[in-house]
Amino acid sequence: MAQHVLTPCEKYQREGHEWDRLVVKRKDTDGVETVVGHSQIRKDAIAKATGTAQYGADVNFPGQLYGACTRSPHPHARILSVNTEKARAVPGVRVVITGKDYPEPYGQFIADQPIIALDKVRYQGETVAAVAAETEEAAREAASLVEVEYELLPVVNSIEDSIKNETLIHEDWSRYECSSACFPEQGTNIGDSFHLNKGDVEKGFAEADLIVESKFLCGQLQHTLIETHTATAQANPYTKEIDVWTPNQSPFSIRGLIAKIFGVPTEKVRLIMTDIGGGFGGKYEAKCEPIAVALSLKAGGRPVKLTYDRHEEFEATVCRSTVQYYIKTGVKKDGTLTAQLVTGYWDAGAYVTTNPRVDYNAGFAAVGPYKVPNVKIDTYVCMTNRTLGTAYRGFGVTEAATLHEHQMDIVARKLHMEPLKLRLQNCLHDGDYGVSGDLIMTCAVDECLRAAAENIGWDKLPDRWVDEEGNLCGKGIACFNKLTGTPSTTSCVVKMNENGSLFIWSASREMGQGVTTTLPQFAAESMHMDLDRISVAPVDTTVTPYDKTTTSSRSTFHSGNAVLEACEDIKKQLCKLASIKWSCDENDVTYTDEGYIQRISDAEQRIHIHDVGKSGIMHEQLPVIAIGRYGTSDIFDPPPVDGRQSSRPTVMWMIGAQAAVVKVNPITGLVKVTKMGAAHDIGKAINPTGCLQQIEGAIVMGIGHALMEEMIYEDGNLRNGNMVDYKVPTFMDSDVETKITLVENGHPEGPYGVKGIGEPGLVPTAAAIANAVCHACNTDFDSLPIKPEHILFRKEVND
Amino acid sequence: MQYVEINVTVNGELYNKTVPANKTLLRFLREDLFLNGVKEGCNEGECGAFTVLVDGEPMNSCLVLAAELNGREVLTVEGLAQDGRLHPLQEAFIEAGAIQCGYCTPGMLMSAVALLNRYPHPTRAQIRKEMEGNICRCTGYTRIADAVLLAVEKMDTAEKNQSPQRNQKVLAGTKK
Ligand code: FES
Repeated sequence: MAQHVLTPCEKYQREGHEWDRLVVKRKDTDGVETVVGHSQIRKDAIAKATGTAQYGADVNFPGQLYGACTRSPHPHARILSVNTEKARAVPGVRVVITGKDYPEPYGQFIADQPIIALDKVRYQGETVAAVAAETEEAAREAASLVEVEYELLPVVNSIEDSIKNETLIHEDWSRYECSSACFPEQGTNIGDSFHLNKGDVEKGFAEADLIVESKFLCGQLQHTLIETHTATAQANPYTKEIDVWTPNQSPFSIRGLIAKIFGVPTEKVRLIMTDIGGGFGGKYEAKCEPIAVALSLKAGGRPVKLTYDRHEEFEATVCRSTVQYYIKTGVKKDGTLTAQLVTGYWDAGAYVTTNPRVDYNAGFAAVGPYKVPNVKIDTYVCMTNRTLGTAYRGFGVTEAATLHEHQMDIVARKLHMEPLKLRLQNCLHDGDYGVSGDLIMTCAVDECLRAAAENIGWDKLPDRWVDEEGNLCGKGIACFNKLTGTPSTTSCVVKMNENGSLFIWSASREMGQGVTTTLPQFAAESMHMDLDRISVAPVDTTVTPYDKTTTSSRSTFHSGNAVLEACEDIKKQLCKLASIKWSCDENDVTYTDEGYIQRISDAEQRIHIHDVGKSGIMHEQLPVIAIGRYGTSDIFDPPPVDGRQSSRPTVMWMIGAQAAVVKVNPITGLVKVTKMGAAHDIGKAINPTGCLQQIEGAIVMGIGHALMEEMIYEDGNLRNGNMVDYKVPTFMDSDVETKITLVENGHPEGPYGVKGIGEPGLVPTAAAIANAVCHACNTDFDSLPIKPEHILFRKEVND
Repeated sequence: MQYVEINVTVNGELYNKTVPANKTLLRFLREDLFLNGVKEGCNEGECGAFTVLVDGEPMNSCLVLAAELNGREVLTVEGLAQDGRLHPLQEAFIEAGAIQCGYCTPGMLMSAVALLNRYPHPTRAQIRKEMEGNICRCTGYTRIADAVLLAVEKMDTAEKNQSPQRNQKVLAGTKK
């Protein structure tokens, strides 16, 4: 039976309201596009709605073994011996490996982490042995029978413990291979640090009429992806060819890392990417992949599937680090900021992993999108015996935003200024200079703040009030700026099939953010072609061209530029083929805006792009295939380590603001977010529904971060490593009146002016909610999440 | 290991299988029937990705044993589309933008079918309450509620027009 034609639903469409689009500045567009800027049905939707999408654990091979890991119950201990005899005796067990089998350590910034612990364990749940067996049950049973003798070591459970340096997690940093972007301090638990200096903060504080100091702590969070980590590897021990099927965000960096760990040439490692059941930074690093490879190598090349269960996901993958921040702000009576000093300590967990990048990105964002002439930022990556910190939708910028926006509210209160007014007075505009002394090209903070405020009816609401049921109500607002990973490069191949349809080969990974729809949209717009005829090919590192990673909200910007470049070449190639067919000069053929390959001297002679397949112009001619490349190395001004001043630390700044209304039950301490207003400067909405989806989902995620989620550790022991005790927002938390404005302030270098929106939706959410709760309760909560016990035992402020 | 023989109807097909007594329904569906639309998320009944219908009622397939299924009828996401045509709920999820990473989607769809069996015209509050057990990390839930309401409209229209979509509503989960 014929399929009903699927179209974006109009009735429940959350766009099309008077508030939802604000065009500040357009780039390259007259607004008459037919594909870009219009909501599209996602290309991955039918497979996902029918249960036929293939996620990591859906990959199966004949003869496949199942992997399982033996994990340390201790957060910090020396390994005295590992006895695998009993495990090997379990029927069906084929392989048991320990740290000694593959001792090569790895790490993106510093190679401090073995794939299986060698001499000591540094966090609870660290792998000490791994098993492959004919069934998952046998593998798990065998893993539980591996006997490990430990000598317990003192546990570093907190940032305070860490900075005492009495117990060192890594005794000798100098033993590890270290990149030039990581600065561990020998003889300490400091794995990296970041220092930014602009102007002279002492002078700035001297010029201030008021100095405000505060602190803020953001708790430790787990990504809680519904799909847990998994990988299936087939590694030939003789040819050293390694194939891995995995739902990972970074095919190429995992490829390099596996090549290095197993000492094989890069080209022998093949990463085949499955659908991803949630990423958010959680699937950026290698987790199951190298262990599955190691097991397969030892199992004579039989495929091995390794899937973590939910408890392993909590304990032994990655998380968002706790950060303790201190901030000192100088401000004049009229509200002009004169100086800001930020000091921060990340509880990075037991291995350095991505923390230097988190620290770096948060460092550049730590004063927010404000004009501050004098700035000093010093932040430290502190090692503890906790699970490993990594990227979590915003690379530390969410935490930084929570800090500066909490501080702005305190400053406003002390100056008796309206919080929104203080922000508007100090915020950056296009052409201002940012925290590293860089010229900010596009930056609609002002517009975003006003629109977010308007979306909750800010002006009509008092700071705090009590509703008829006796709930304490309040409003709060927050804004932010976030850089994107720079320099970074990407490439794509666009190939025309014999019937005139297009394939895009791009390694930008679909993880729900919609990139496999937006990239075809660019091609469709450029070629004036039906979106249905363009698709992104599956990602496989042996054929898909290089892309750095799918992180940092960079894909639409970077891969979009690459696709547009390739499409221009495709048009040229088609014109050339037409000229051969028409026996005319190739300069006499052009590609029109309407998608015609047309003879200039005779407009009657033309072929529409949709008819190219049957036109015969491609028959026995050179295939139509083009490369698109985009990189930001040329525009990047590397920020020097001392002070981080740079004319171009990032290709673009992502900007946005959100406002919240909350009501707090003073008896139960429960907080209900009743309204959220958001406005994000996304440059250009390519698939408006896709942009809204990112922000809507992020807002509910942010409610969890503000009010519910927290990994609780005692002495290095994780107390709530399951979904019963670690609560994430459910359907019941989604009853929030939400209005979102997509602000379009076109970026001169973005394709059609686009910037990024994958992470930004989350960045100001928790900050806005926390500020609203503080207003409602007339207090200064200085940590997240704000739980009922904090509300019930609150101290009111009295300045 | 003890084995049990079961006769179970899954998506309208009768299967006669011998299963280990301790095998969960989730693993039976995935490993023995290759119905990969059923997802494993937590194995503790908390995430909802595992939801299937047994005799029209939503079940945590990760906590139910396949051996208990003798004589019963199971519906999974793979059984929603009929004759290559999507179920109104599937169409609505796609059209309302209720799918991002999609990992929760099969479980959400099955909970939605169960919800509509119970409340053919649900309110938003009922949708939230009944589907509370299904976690989604991507969408923020509102579009999923939109999708359910859109599906109700589609089914109502189809019923009026006597189109084949009407039958699907009946098929979806209630015992034939
Ligand atoms: S769409 Fe990703 S978990 Fe729901």
